[in-house]
This record gives sequence, C-alpha cells and structure tokens, in this order.
Amino acid sequence: MSEVPLLEVRELSVTFETAGGPLPAVSGVSFTVGPNETLGIVGESGSGKTVLARSIMGLQPRARVTTTGSVRLNGSETVGASETELRRLWSTEVAMIFQDPMTALNPVMRVGKQIDETLRVRLGMSRPAAKARAIELLEMVGIPSPAQRYNAYPGQLSGGMRQRVVIAAALACTPKLLLADEPTTGLDVTIQAQILNLLDDLKDRLHMSVVLITHDLGVVATRTSHLAVMYAGRIVEFGATRDVFAHHRMPYTRALLESSPRVANPSHTRLAAIPGRPPNLLTLGEGCAFAPRCAYANDRCHVERPPLSAPDAAGHSFACWNPLSEESR
Amino acid sequence: MSESLNELGVLERPEASTPLGWLFWVCVGWLTLNVLAAIFANVLPLVDPLYQNYNVVNAGPSLHHLLGTDDLGRDIFSRIVFGSRVSIAVGVGAMLIGFGIGAPLGMLAAYRRGRFDTIVTTVMYVFLAFPAIVAVIAVLSFWTPRSLLKIILVIGLASVPLVYRVIRTATMAIATKDFVIAAKVQGATDRRILIKELLPNIAPIGVSFLLIGIATVVTLEGALAFLGLSVNPPTPSWGNMINESRTVMSQNPWLVLFPSLALCLFLLCLNFIGDRLRSHFDVTEVKL
Amino acid sequence: MLRYVVRRLVMLLGIVVVISIGSFYLIHLLPGDPAAVILGTGDTPANRAILYKQLGLDRPMVVQYFIWLRNILHGNFGISFISQTSVASTIRAALPIDLELIALSQILAFAAAIPLAMRSARKPDGIVDRILGAGSFTLLSIPPFIIIVLLVLVISIKLGISNTGPSSYVSFGTDWIVNLESLTLPAFTLAIGSFVLYYRVLRSDLIATLQEEFITVARSKGISRRRIMWRHAFRPSSVALLGSAGVNIGGLLASGFVVEYLLAIPGLGYTLIAAINASDYLLVQGIVLVVSVGVVVINFLFDFVINIVDPRISRE
Repeated sequence: MSEVPLLEVRELSVTFETAGGPLPAVSGVSFTVGPNETLGIVGESGSGKTVLARSIMGLQPRARVTTTGSVRLNGSETVGASETELRRLWSTEVAMIFQDPMTALNPVMRVGKQIDETLRVRLGMSRPAAKARAIELLEMVGIPSPAQRYNAYPGQLSGGMRQRVVIAAALACTPKLLLADEPTTGLDVTIQAQILNLLDDLKDRLHMSVVLITHDLGVVATRTSHLAVMYAGRIVEFGATRDVFAHHRMPYTRALLESSPRVANPSHTRLAAIPGRPPNLLTLGEGCAFAPRCAYANDRCHVERPPLSAPDAAGHSFACWNPLSEESR
Repeated sequence: MSESLNELGVLERPEASTPLGWLFWVCVGWLTLNVLAAIFANVLPLVDPLYQNYNVVNAGPSLHHLLGTDDLGRDIFSRIVFGSRVSIAVGVGAMLIGFGIGAPLGMLAAYRRGRFDTIVTTVMYVFLAFPAIVAVIAVLSFWTPRSLLKIILVIGLASVPLVYRVIRTATMAIATKDFVIAAKVQGATDRRILIKELLPNIAPIGVSFLLIGIATVVTLEGALAFLGLSVNPPTPSWGNMINESRTVMSQNPWLVLFPSLALCLFLLCLNFIGDRLRSHFDVTEVKL
Repeated sequence: MLRYVVRRLVMLLGIVVVISIGSFYLIHLLPGDPAAVILGTGDTPANRAILYKQLGLDRPMVVQYFIWLRNILHGNFGISFISQTSVASTIRAALPIDLELIALSQILAFAAAIPLAMRSARKPDGIVDRILGAGSFTLLSIPPFIIIVLLVLVISIKLGISNTGPSSYVSFGTDWIVNLESLTLPAFTLAIGSFVLYYRVLRSDLIATLQEEFITVARSKGISRRRIMWRHAFRPSSVALLGSAGVNIGGLLASGFVVEYLLAIPGLGYTLIAAINASDYLLVQGIVLVVSVGVVVINFLFDFVINIVDPRISRE
C-alpha cells in the first residue's frame, strides 16, 4: 500500500443499542485503500459488511448507534461529521452502490432525473447540460438507446438495467472512491458477471478506488488487489488477494473457500458447508468468535480472542491462535 | 437501520402492544356514565326537559339549575341528558344495522371468495362511490314524516358498504393465515371456521371501527339536526340544542357551550377508545 | 394506462346511472300522491297537467324514468311550482359558491397539512410530532357545526369583526374583498376537518417512505434534506393523500351545507335546506342529482391524478 491512502479506517467500531443489549456490529476494524486500488471485503451475511460500508459513508443512522474510531476519506474525517459536512464528500469524493436495485431507485421519478439531479445539485450544472451528461452516463454504463431510457420509470426496466442506472447515478460526479455493497446479489447469475465487468472497466477508465463488498469469494478473486475477510464484525484475515487465496492462515477463510464452487475442481465435488451457525453478536464471549465452529479450536481459542497479527513482508495478517500451516492447508 | 439490523439477524422486536393507559379508562368511564344516564333518564331526579319556567330564563349555572336554563326557562342539564338519548340511539342503532348486515356479508365474501364475493363487492363498491351523506339527506327530506326509527334505518343502511369493506379487508388478511388453512385441512366446517377462527381475530378491528363509526354517526345526526332533518323540536337532541341556541348566543353563550362540550367529549372518548384499541391490538390501519 | 382509464370510465358511467335511478325514485318516497305534494299550494288543474306531462306520472314507472332522464339530459330539471323558477337556473346560480368555498378550504387544508406532516415525519414521536398528533386528534372530535358556531360567537359577535357573521355574503363579482372576508370563517371551518385527515394520512405515509432505501440513496448523493423531502419523499407518499382528498369531498359538501345554512350563504346547501323547508321537491331532487354526480366525477378525477403521480398503479 503505497502513496497517501485515499481511505483510512482506524479502529472503527459500530455498536447498536437493541432491546437485547449492545450489539457490536463492527469491532475494531482498520484498513487503508490507496488510489486506484480495489479492496474486497468478504464475509457471510451478518458479518457486519453492510454496516461497515454505511459507516464509512457516514450514512448509518445516529439514533441508538455508537460509532467510535476514525474514518478518513481523502483526509476528511467522517466519524462524527455532520450531514452538512458529509454532503460535501458524497458524490464527489465517495459514492456508494446499494445492494438491491429494486429498492435503490425512486419508483415515481424518471431514471434520467435521478442521475441529473446529482449533477445539478452537486456540480451546479444547468438543466440541459445535466441532461446531456446523464444520457452520456447511461450510455457509459451500457444502456441501449439511452435518450429514450432517460424518460423511463424504474418499473419499466429490468433488474440489470436498474443496477446500471444506480451505477451511473453513483458515478455521475466521478467520485474518487466507490463503495459497492453486494452490487450483484439481487441480480440473475448471467447479469452478475456483466455488472462486475462493467465496474472493473469503469474503475480503470475513471481512475477510481473501489471497495467491493460481497459474500461471494468468486467475485473478488480476480477483481481485487487486496482482500479482507470479516467474521462477526471483525477482520480476521487481510492481505493481497492472491496471497490470501494461496496462503490463507485463518481456518474461517479456508471454510469460506471450500464452501464456494471452483472451476478447477472436478465436477460433482461436494461443497463443504461451514458447520454451525454465524454467532449471535449479542452473546459473544471472550474467545474467538469462530471457535465454536472451528475444527482446530483449543481451550485458548474459547477464552482469549486472537488479535490481528502484524502484517508479514507481503502485508498479510490474520487473527488466529492456530493458523494453518502449508501442510495442513 | 432496521435493514442493517436485519442483516445481522437481530430483528428489532415489534414494540410490545401499546398499553391502554389510564386515559383510556377515564374515557370508558365517561362513556359508561353517558350511556347509563341516557338509559335511566326517566328515573333520575331530573327536571322535565320540556318544562318551561319563565321565572328563570337564560340563567347561568347555579345549584338549582346545574348548567343554567335556556331562553324558555328549560333546564339545560336535564335537556343534555335527555338529548343524549337521541344521539346515542341514532349512533348505536345505525351501527347495529350497518354491522348486522355489512359484517356477516364482508366475512362471508372474504372467506368464500369466488362469484359471491365478486358480485357483492361490485354492488358495494357502486354504493360506496355514491356520496352516502348526500343520499341520507335526500332520502330523509323526501321520506316524511320523519321519525327516530327512519333516521336510524337510513343512516344504518347507508353505512353498510363502508362496514362491508372494512370487515372484508380485515377478514381477507386473516383468512389466508396458516391457522385458518390448517383448520380447513383438518375438516372443520365453514361455520366453525367463521365463528371460532375468523371472528375472534376480526373482533378487535371491528370493535374499533364500530366505535369510530358511532362517533361519525353522532356527528352526522348533529348536522342533520342543524338542517332540520333530525327529530323535531321540542324533543331535545344535542344537535338541535346547539342549533336553537344560536339565536340567543350573544346573550347566553352557556347555551351553546354546554351541549357542544357534551357532544365533543362524547366524540373524543369514542375516537380515543377506538384509536387505542386499534393500536393495542396492533391491527394495521385499514385505509378508508 | 388507457385501458385503466377506459375501465374507470365504464364504472363511472354505471355509478351515474345508479345515481340517476336513485334520484328519480326519491319522488316516489313522498307519502300519498306525489303530484299533490310537489305542487303544494300551486295545485291547480293547469299546473297538474303540466307536471303530469313533465314527469309522465300517469305512465308506468319505467317509462317515467326514461321521460325524466331525457329531460335531465337536455338540461331540463323542471320548473319549481313553489318559486316559479327553473330548477336548472337556480342550481347554476348556487353551484359556483360551493366550488369557491371548497377550493378555498382545500387550499388552506393542504397549505397547513403538507408542511406540518413533513415536520412531524422528520422526527416521529418527537415533541413537535406529539403536540401535532394530540392537537389533530382533538380537532377530529369537534364537529364542523360546533366550530362554525363558536367561531361566529367569538369573531363576529364578541370581537365584532365585520363581514364575517351570518348574511354578510356578497358575490365575488360585486366586491371580491368582502366576498373573501365573508367566506373566511366557513372556509376555515371546512379546512379544519380536511386538515386533520390530510395531516394524519400524509404523516404516516411520509414516515414509511423516509425509511425506504431510495431515500438513503438520495442522501448518499449529497442532496439536501429539504430537497429529499419534497422531490423524493413527497410524491410517492401522496397517493393515499390524494385518495382521501377525493373521498373527503363528499363529506365536505355535507359540512358545507350546514355552514352555508348557518351563515346564509346562498350556495347549494342553503338552497337545499330552503327547498326542503318549502317542500320544493323538484329543486331538492335536482340538487341531489347534481351534487351526487359532481362528487362521483371529482372522485374519478382524483383517481386519474393519482395515476399520473404514481405510474406504478395503472401498471398493476
């Protein structure tokens, strides 16, 4: 990770106050993303990925939520910043793509208006200029006959088209950092690859950094430079993507890898399910959150939480008392 | 936030049903008092509401006349108590007719579905589009001579389509629930399902709508009294008391205030109880 | 969209037919010989002949209906035997007053309900929301006829503000300032009921809409709170608002009748009550028909507007 980081997250913790007590959705997460880098964040649903993304943006509602630590976006702190301050960063510095294109667009507003609104409000463009630019953007994200689609309502578009519109709206002001929160989960499998390739392509053309959040390791394998594996609100393994895939040390990472299909495997290979269930964050004990599901867990794992190790020469770190060695992998 | 919490697998529990609160019971108490007074008005030690005492005309409240007297020397307190009989009779009577016809039809249509539902619903929706209040005014102005019974009948019939729609919607939401389907599969008779499974679940929203309906009808009766379409004077009703008092309003404002207050408190209690019951039983609001 | 409109138009036509049958039949609700009741003091053989010809009273009921319907469709509502004037011209003179009154009250109601609902929805259960909630609930329980009586008592009588009391109505053409002054209290009275309804409906829908994902998305673009409220949240939240406004018109007319009657404003309500008291049944019948059809048509127009506001509805 060279140069000045574009995004620097330090010891970020987000705790919800719920009827059942404090719920630590994100705990002590730290990482950095440099210019033109792509970071993948992987974890099961419930591991705190979405909360992390929204907290980086500063979009997490403030009521009954405690956020501590620091998030610096191109030098500006977003934790504790007012919405007025954040508004200056949104769209131009950082933008976000949301999980479900079915709910992310205003159903009673023409899609073109939802794109050029950003241009007019944030960049002060005139109405005709914004419209022309919006049509350009629609074309850029691969929407056929963009001038007609400009006037369509979201309900008249397919899921894939809607997600393209969402992307076009997010990129309208050419943000330096794009947070993509499960951008393909709500889409058909055949459309998923198209959208991911589009994002990849746009990232290079617009010189953006991207944080790609997903539960699907297959998605991040070839499209990210770095990878963070999250479990129960914490980063449990971090490193260069190739490194993590090849030399993962954390049993959870291995479990994740084994549970996703790989082309290299002979067909009809049984996928290994991860035993047990994701932990209840309200009742986390002192030990490693993965210990109850881990084949390698010993007494220590149940009473003492392993810290994230200092990065090795390649920048690879992990949180485990019994890391996998080359032989056991 | 619910979204992200959802993802974390910790659904925020729906807030426990709102407690009824002490104000609810105050309202229940006030309504009970009103109804009892209306029923037992004859046996209560009240002055004859029609007796005109020209020695105390337009008197303010005093020990002798609790709420004073009107321009003909009639006791206002006694007239309010007797007047409540008209309002309560019209409100309760009309809603009994409305629910007596609308509720069974609505339940049956929602439970049976099919052609029966299609036909009844279409007919009801045609009548719903008809401005019910205009129809009530029209029928009452032609169907002379007017009597309390006719007023109850006309308003009651006019309310049937509204009751039908509310009950049908509520039943439909419940008739598709698993426990009803389970009962059907186990071979329970339609009659048993309607009475044992559906009725208890619809009752809360029914009662809540009934109370708000009574409030609406009582208001309507007041308006009709203003238009001279309710019971004829000198029989007191809250509406015609307020109406008659207008002419002497500037000399004797009590005459307007007391019956207005009685009516508003009565309506407020009905609306409040209805509203509380609805949120207590956590019934999603049926849009009217 | 077109199919939807056509379907609604067919339904509208059906309802209008039912209304016409109902209005026609009203005459036969009269006790005894309808001709005698309608003619009242004008019961001369000559008038009786005119009425029989006009209504076809000696023919079978079905034929009577079609005779009556043909006359109505030609704009012939009959001549009142009480006042010796054409029913149609009486209605034409009164109708604009009701329209003005309703328009004024609706402007007031929306002008108050929309910003206050937005204010409440911004912080549900906050102090402002609680106060507005309790206030609107109390207003809900005060019938319009009490409001107008109390307003007249305080403003016209106690404070002595001119042109607000009974019989102060002047037509818009004569003196529009006095016209507006005289309609202030009635318009305000009618607005209160509508305000409570609109405020409550819009508030709950806004609260629901503001929790939608697309609102978060709009925020994430850096759009101001105010713009999000008006441009993103308001329109998808206004379907139920428009629906209840359409339905509310019927109730508004009835309250309007009382208010007009109390202040002697010569709109349809006042005319209707006067006609009922004078046993001028042809006039009553004409007003009932016009008002009923008017309400149904207004409902239809609101349905149409709702479809434009929310394109999702007609697509279903």
